[in-house]
Amino acid sequence: MSNGREDKRPRLFRLPTSRRRLRGDIDRELRFHIEGRVDELIAAGLTREQAEREVTQRFGDVSAVREQLEEIDTMTHRKRERGEWRATLARDLGHAVRGLALRPAFATIVVLTLGLGIGATTAIYALLDTVVLRPLPYPNAGRLVYIEHPVPGVETNAKWRMSQAGYFFFRKNSKAFDDIALYNKSEASLVTPDAAERVRAAAVSGNFFEVVGARPFLGRSFTDADNRPNAALVAMLGYAFWRQRFNGDSRVVGATVSLGSRPYTIIGVAPATLDLPDYQAQVWLPLELNADAPAMNSHYLDAVALLRPGVTVSAAQADAARLTSRLPEEFPRAYSPGFMRESRFGVLVSPLRDIVIGGMSRTLWILLGAVAIVMLIAFANVANLFLVRAEARRRETDIRLALGADRLHLAGHYVAESVVLALIGGTLAVGLAYGALRFLVILNPSSVPRLAELSLGWQAGAVALALALGAGIALGLLPLTRLALGGDRVPTLREGGRTQTASRRQLSVRSALVVAQMALAVVLLAAAGLMLRSFQRLRSVQPGFDASGVLTFEVALPYSHYAPLVRGPAGYLPVFQYHRELAQRLAALPGVTSVGMTQALAMKDGDGCALVFVKDKSFTRETAPCVGNIVAGPGYFSTLGIPMRGRVPTWTDVDAQSGAVVVSKALADHMWPGEDPIGKEVRPNGSAEPWYHVVGVTGDVLTRGLDQPPSEIVYYPMVPIEGAPLWFPPTHMTIAIRTRNTDPLSLAPAARRIVTALDREVPVANVQTMETIVDRSTAKTTFAMLLLAIAGTMALVLSAVGIYGVISYTVAERRPEIGVRMALGAQTTQVRRMVVAQSLRVSGVGIAIGLAGALATTRVLQSLLFGVSPTDPVTLGGVTIVLMMLAALAAYAPARRATKVDPVEVLRRE
Amino acid sequence: MAEDLDLLRGTLDLLILKTLSWGPMHGLAVLRWIEQVTGQRLQITEGALYPALHRMEQKGWLGADWGYTERNREAKFYKLTAAGRRQLTAELSKWSRYTEAVNLVITAQGAR
Repeated sequence: MSNGREDKRPRLFRLPTSRRRLRGDIDRELRFHIEGRVDELIAAGLTREQAEREVTQRFGDVSAVREQLEEIDTMTHRKRERGEWRATLARDLGHAVRGLALRPAFATIVVLTLGLGIGATTAIYALLDTVVLRPLPYPNAGRLVYIEHPVPGVETNAKWRMSQAGYFFFRKNSKAFDDIALYNKSEASLVTPDAAERVRAAAVSGNFFEVVGARPFLGRSFTDADNRPNAALVAMLGYAFWRQRFNGDSRVVGATVSLGSRPYTIIGVAPATLDLPDYQAQVWLPLELNADAPAMNSHYLDAVALLRPGVTVSAAQADAARLTSRLPEEFPRAYSPGFMRESRFGVLVSPLRDIVIGGMSRTLWILLGAVAIVMLIAFANVANLFLVRAEARRRETDIRLALGADRLHLAGHYVAESVVLALIGGTLAVGLAYGALRFLVILNPSSVPRLAELSLGWQAGAVALALALGAGIALGLLPLTRLALGGDRVPTLREGGRTQTASRRQLSVRSALVVAQMALAVVLLAAAGLMLRSFQRLRSVQPGFDASGVLTFEVALPYSHYAPLVRGPAGYLPVFQYHRELAQRLAALPGVTSVGMTQALAMKDGDGCALVFVKDKSFTRETAPCVGNIVAGPGYFSTLGIPMRGRVPTWTDVDAQSGAVVVSKALADHMWPGEDPIGKEVRPNGSAEPWYHVVGVTGDVLTRGLDQPPSEIVYYPMVPIEGAPLWFPPTHMTIAIRTRNTDPLSLAPAARRIVTALDREVPVANVQTMETIVDRSTAKTTFAMLLLAIAGTMALVLSAVGIYGVISYTVAERRPEIGVRMALGAQTTQVRRMVVAQSLRVSGVGIAIGLAGALATTRVLQSLLFGVSPTDPVTLGGVTIVLMMLAALAAYAPARRATKVDPVEVLRRE
Repeated sequence: MAEDLDLLRGTLDLLILKTLSWGPMHGLAVLRWIEQVTGQRLQITEGALYPALHRMEQKGWLGADWGYTERNREAKFYKLTAAGRRQLTAELSKWSRYTEAVNLVITAQGAR
């Protein structure tokens, strides 16, 4: 029936026609016409020449007609193709859906496996997209940089923010920046007739809104004039706070609110989209800035600058470095050459985004890699299922081919089925990813920045769709590799159907899939194991205090009442009296064993850095070490369970201004190695006598986090010693309460009532247990560990399923052989051992490859690990054992089944 | 040569459909048939015929297939499809309504 001329084939099987073919057809048609005409005229008696002239004349412009026809035919062809494609698609999809409905188990497993694999990847991708890839939510985001001052001479990784003098100097002289703005995260007490509330405040320079490119939603934003000292008190409200607390009432502009007991006029409302980097300000305030103030080496301002268009970050860095090097000549008192040299004071300009994201970028990329591995393992499982399916349908396929079915068409048929499944899986994946992200937002891991912006964007949806489509097409084509390889298909059509060669090839493909799966699982489990070990190590670190049973909260006393501008100790009296009274009342609560307070709670607030001078040591301002200085009230050490040697200062000490201080062991070891620190004398930055004397030494406390070395700290009393350099009265303290109650938080309401009863204008904030604070300090490790553990578990389960599937298949294949062996007297244990050994062999290859992969890749985890090497032999050994056991276990059921083979029955069937 | 009758717009489609209703033909045969039936009174140019054929193929009224003439020359044969047959019926009734109307006008008594 086929004579090699494809034109005669039914339309549906016609290959796409090329332009040249179209043109050829038209030429043939017209030539036939013209020749026919010529013949006609010759028959009528004309000469060929005359006939041809006559015909051409009548026909007119042949090439014009040809062009016209070509245009029409091209359109016809396109239309027809579209129609055919649609019809084929509809038919294949119909087939696919009907076929799958007949095999619900197969369809369900494939959809679930793909959904899980793609869903996990989509979720992490969405996280990465939100946190790392999307620009910060500022109109000028691309040009915003952050300026800070590394001081490696003070501490290896320490970076200081900007000083006021530096700000004005940079702003005036920089060539790289359009402008520089400042911000400060702070807190304020909003006092209403009912109660006081701590609100998140952002103090900014007047140009902040212009620099980031935001316009006020209502009213006006700040100007430079608002930053001047003694300017009128003005504030803006954050959009969400305005909606929530002021019901979105626009008349609020011009009204007055009481912040820290001082009346502020509301001048505007910030736009909904504007926040400080990773900080949702409820109230915006102007910073107090004074260009004429004497320069001070005090770095407390976050500086964000807008690059001039076309200026690169590195050019800006060079410009900032130039300006920084001029600081000593401009401000010799604040930035002496000695200071610059000792601290190695530098400058670092980096994209604002890098500052916001911090180290999370790396963690998220690693996690994306991890879930991608899970997805590949899932794909391998599904691929295995499809291979089994293809094997089962081999006869059907071969018959179709033998009957002349188009291979392309057959491919379309298979692909339609797998694509339908994959797309359902993809839809499930998007749902799962959405759920996972909601869960993450509820979980609110403190180590992940920009979580407030988290959403499943269209990019993540597109990724899920693309993955599903890709997987669907690949899985559909997989069974066809056999056809493409041109494997002879006649044998299957013979009676008996089964050929060893074909199934062996199948088996090797499937074994390769298991090997790949195992290798990937090793890499992932090694990563998860390393994180788990780091986590364990981290949690077994003694922080130097006992976090259990401790409740903490902050109180902020309004300056106007508690920090009177009185020289000398009298200025400290209100703060001192307040806290003593508060401590006494709290201690009287049932279940409370101890109450203490500090300006910087361990692991929550860090420990700062201030110069310390030691008697009998010739420290100058240039050489004095920078150590933590913390104001701690009586009871702090006992409440936190920090071990002490010597004496603990009491309220009497504070009252008498005895100048008793406590130092940490790390500081004592550094300053007076081998000597008894008690009785030594120190004083903070300043020039005057008298000295404070050390009365006690604490055990080492890891104030900066479990993964940091113990800090050198001097704990100063709340009231400075008479005649010593002063510090601002500590109006902002964290109170710690130790309780016998199992849940320290149960004390919170009573504690709140006491604070309110003592002074209605003092708000309570950040009520949390000490254990929460410790947990948070390990949040980065916990987060990475948790997600890698989830990914690892998924990998483990999926690999187990994969190897189980292959071993089961092999056992089924080898039934005749096993039957013969058993008929010849093989013992059941021998048969079982043979099956398990096969599983171990295949897995062993995968594990070996995986170990090599793990050794090569776990280095990327380095920055996340703690106390464990990326090639930790215990972890890698453990992973190997776990996977080998898994391989043995997965083979056990098929092995049992193998021994159930009845030799007689098998032999009879053969 | 006989007087030329200008083909009314749209009439060509009707002529082709009607001609092909007798059976599959190639383009030249369609032309010959019409010339023969009209006694050369209707002369259709190739420049009009072929685009019309191809356009009707696109619309699905005609099917086209390569075949051999009785003199064993390869030619493209057109034939009516089911849709083409329906179209022919529609065009015929339209044509008769049209000619009736025209006849009514040209045979009416002049108004005074």
